[in-house]
Amino acid sequence: MSEMTHLLSGELIGERDWITVTEICRLCRIDVTAVRELAELGVVDPRGSPAGEWEFPAAALPRLRVVGRLMRDLGVNVSGAALAAELLESQRELERQIRRLERLLGETR
Amino acid sequence: MEFRDYYKILGVERSAAAEQIKTAYRRLARKFHPDVSKEPNAEARFKEVQEAYEVLKDPEKRAAYDQLGSEWKSGQQFRPPPDWGSGFEFGGAPPGGARRRGGSGRTGAAMDDGAFEEEGFSDFFSSLFGGGSPFRTAGRRGGRDHHARMDLTLEQAFHGATSTLELKRPELKPDGTVEMRTRTVRVTIPAGMSDGQLIRLAGQGEPGTEGGRAGDLYLEAHILPHALYQLDGRDVTLTLPVAPWEAALGASVTVPTLGGAVDMHIPAGAQSGQKLRLRGRGLPGQPPGDEYVQLKVVLPPASSPQAKSLYEQMRGELGFNPRADFPG
Repeated sequence: MSEMTHLLSGELIGERDWITVTEICRLCRIDVTAVRELAELGVVDPRGSPAGEWEFPAAALPRLRVVGRLMRDLGVNVSGAALAAELLESQRELERQIRRLERLLGETR
Repeated sequence: MEFRDYYKILGVERSAAAEQIKTAYRRLARKFHPDVSKEPNAEARFKEVQEAYEVLKDPEKRAAYDQLGSEWKSGQQFRPPPDWGSGFEFGGAPPGGARRRGGSGRTGAAMDDGAFEEEGFSDFFSSLFGGGSPFRTAGRRGGRDHHARMDLTLEQAFHGATSTLELKRPELKPDGTVEMRTRTVRVTIPAGMSDGQLIRLAGQGEPGTEGGRAGDLYLEAHILPHALYQLDGRDVTLTLPVAPWEAALGASVTVPTLGGAVDMHIPAGAQSGQKLRLRGRGLPGQPPGDEYVQLKVVLPPASSPQAKSLYEQMRGELGFNPRADFPG
């Protein structure tokens, strides 16, 4: 059974926005303790104090959401998930470089 | 709907112990996790594995599932039995349905209970264990947020788009059975979404029960690979083939950009691999990204007598040694 609804326009979470720690927890589905640990590990740089009033750059969201997913789905702890997320990012960057070089060398893929 | 054999999905016997089920789940989750895996259909496989584990890890759900019998095969047409869920007590902490409210004195963040993510699960799962089924909490309760991934082409990300999504929502019918209802929703995607960026659709997540507030739906943009451009944040890189004389003498060439072709000046003495920047020609934003044009010098083939004679003339007159830096 199916029904058509009207056109929805969502709210874009801007990359230049600053997001409260509460909102980070909701968007990444992680708890406040994990967010604090991620800040201590330098995975994300909050502004403001005390910790309960921290704000985070929205540009860090994709990485924090990956951390949240890895923790939830694979049962890794905060520092393990942070390490994996950073390694995944550098792997992506290396893959991009390889593709650029392949194109330059005329290899097609 | 089609029956799902959760034991087969996890590759365990029906008699498997809880620990074996957990091990099987961990191994498969690691193999197919969409953030990590390079397997084809990783995301679909991962959801399947997650769904199977959601049922088999929970003694109540597993027992109810087992009661369906062992004769069923994956893919067989299936309808939930009318007495589904009877004989089970759903008191105490309901599996997957409990909501954690800031009881520990932390922030009041509306967290859901983690591993349980119903979106993307099959109709089979939803009708047996989803909202409205005996396995979910009764009483007034806010709906959870839903999270979904949305594939966009680079062009859609650049120009903005209207995307059509199918959202499934279980609905309790007057006779007490649950029916999946599919809603088709059209969503306006603003121009300039980058990979991993989020859109919030307020109130489009899980409906609340008995007057509770509905959750929100979050769509995460996933930008598909493009034949011509490579995306890096908001910047794009294009490999531009150029003739040797265009690189050597400089030239004005027409270059594709996401917003349409533009003229670009190649400086004299350019080399293969050199990058030129077209400022602001990447994905829109504050600030917009740039387009990088990487030059690739392509040699004309010496396939005609005329081409051969030109190459011979260069050999004779240029005195060019590409290996001049080599020792000895």
